[in-house]
Amino acid sequence: MSESQQVILNHEAGSGVPLTLRNVSIVYRTRKGEVQAVRDVSLDLHAGESIALIGESGSGKTTLGLGIVRLLVKSAEVTAGEITYRRDGKEIGVLALNKNALREFRWKECSMVFQSALNAFNPVIRIWDQMRDTAQSHGWKDKKAIRQRSLELLRFVQLDADRVIDAYPHELSGGMRQRVLIALSLLLDPQVLILDEPTTALDILTQRTIIDLLRKLKDEQHFTMIFISHDLAIAAELADRIATMYAGRIVELGSSDDIFYRPRHPYTLGLIRAVPKVVGDFQELFSIPGSPPDLIDLPSGCKFHPRCPYATDRCREEEPDLETVGPDHMAACWHWQDVEKELQTKPLHSVA
Amino acid sequence: MALIELKNVSRTFGKGDERVVAVDNVSFAIDEGEVLCLVGESGCGKSTTGKIVAGLLEPTRGQVLFDGQDISKLDKDSFRRYRHAVQIIHQDPYASLNPTQTVRQIITRPLLRHHKVSGRDGAEKRAIELLEIVDLTPAHDFMDKYPHQLSGGQRQRVSVARALTVEPRFIVADEAVSMVDVSIRVSLLNMLSRLQEEFNVTFLFITHDLALAKYFAWEGRISVMYLGRIVEDGPTRRVVMDPRHPYTQALLSAVPEADPELARRKKRIQLRSADIPSLLDLPPGCTFHPRCPYFVEGRCDAEVPLLAGIPEGGRVACPVRKDVSIQLVE
Repeated sequence: MSESQQVILNHEAGSGVPLTLRNVSIVYRTRKGEVQAVRDVSLDLHAGESIALIGESGSGKTTLGLGIVRLLVKSAEVTAGEITYRRDGKEIGVLALNKNALREFRWKECSMVFQSALNAFNPVIRIWDQMRDTAQSHGWKDKKAIRQRSLELLRFVQLDADRVIDAYPHELSGGMRQRVLIALSLLLDPQVLILDEPTTALDILTQRTIIDLLRKLKDEQHFTMIFISHDLAIAAELADRIATMYAGRIVELGSSDDIFYRPRHPYTLGLIRAVPKVVGDFQELFSIPGSPPDLIDLPSGCKFHPRCPYATDRCREEEPDLETVGPDHMAACWHWQDVEKELQTKPLHSVA
Repeated sequence: MALIELKNVSRTFGKGDERVVAVDNVSFAIDEGEVLCLVGESGCGKSTTGKIVAGLLEPTRGQVLFDGQDISKLDKDSFRRYRHAVQIIHQDPYASLNPTQTVRQIITRPLLRHHKVSGRDGAEKRAIELLEIVDLTPAHDFMDKYPHQLSGGQRQRVSVARALTVEPRFIVADEAVSMVDVSIRVSLLNMLSRLQEEFNVTFLFITHDLALAKYFAWEGRISVMYLGRIVEDGPTRRVVMDPRHPYTQALLSAVPEADPELARRKKRIQLRSADIPSLLDLPPGCTFHPRCPYFVEGRCDAEVPLLAGIPEGGRVACPVRKDVSIQLVE
């Protein structure tokens, strides 16, 4: 079965760096003031890699994802920076795309799978019509070919395709809808997939089928993917690289193993120490004191300093930039060496 | 004597073709000061069970005993005492607090209403104490705040403080920390644990998150529910380290782990079907049989397996696998 599926998708992974973000900042204008949701984010996404943006609510991860596909609400504005997309040697400035070009870009080049699978569908039209509409609005004319492709994709995501294609969204379970949404996002064979909390609100066993499916897209089809998640476990399961976000900035960026076993930013360390594991003996957990910052009235200096056990006067005054802390590993902390030292005396994971 | 005991409790909703058995013949007992975690996926009946325990929903069949007394037979005064003794904390701290009341009103009104204090000054003093117990300090800063001025974690603390106004002996926490950010979740859990340790409050902790259940109930017990029935229970250590029911094993193996190496080493249990049966059309016999990798034809689809005790502790509703341990990690 999996062989035929590979033939069906026939996805070309591409090469190089399909997506580059340079110094991107995004604000929401509200009556109370400007919400600085994303601040000065730079990131290179390599072909075939999966990168996870992790952080808590308000860290800016979803805003950044929406910014990449230009789906921000009207009150939001990209105030600075560049987003460059590349395919087959061509370069596109995403922020400069007009309405029509953007429409092409969104499904054919970069598609986004949203968190709430029920809200993403029109409740009164069948799955087939949703898929047909999407294909036709991108210039596909041959209805038979669209149906063929749709069925193949539904089969790829392990659904009973012949039944599901004529169903209404409410006739499907949450996990099935999420799978349909993933199939839909693949319809025009985009190069980059952005998945916002793809398994949140799903039951454990359903969540597992979605994780396994996404891993298949990654390992067998080599899609370039961005996962947005508050759940560290999803990142551990699916990401090659992880970016920790706090108060709108990337505060640490590294390989999945670096982030989980050799974190250098106190916030990443705090998150890891706060999350329990199911397998193995009891482990003590620690929460991060305080609460996430007010994005309208950000703290001075390092935005994490009010909650940080390592904070010194310098942290209160100067905001650190990302600096290299190891091979392909960066952190924005004045005290990353102290974090390193502490981890030598108090290792993170007791080996089961 | 158990503080709370459920004896063969069932609860159905709807009639005829629409009839759903949300809770099917559930029995368990919780001793004073103990923690029991009810885990399972959506639709397994864990929240319905929680509401029955809290007296918010009547069972269709079976008995709920509080301090050994059947709550359906209590007179009005005793029933009120029971309702005070058992408090429930809901999942959504955004929906469970009145948005037009300040924290002061939310806490002092029940104190005055139920004559837990004498006069305004007494109420004010007690409210401050309660806010300190739930770590909302300095308490004075929170008294005049409205719910919308608080973070999710702070609101949930206010919900707990409100529950504490009537000096409960028993708290049903239904997904009480699920909507709170990871970094704050642990401190909420630790605060709840402290209520158990310091005030001997008994807990029924309902969650879909096995890792949280393990953390919160490490010294207590876990009951796993599937489609309205308890399929396995026992001391937390035994259930987590040596699960016996194929459904418990499937859950534990499916949970993603926040550790890449562990995630790679964890064994996957392949189910025969990914789809959860509809509560309107439950499979005969063991309701897990259409998905179970150890399905025995003519046995699992014929008789409903009963919970049977195992020497390692607790009960397992699977005569086929109850004595077989498996390794979850390679």
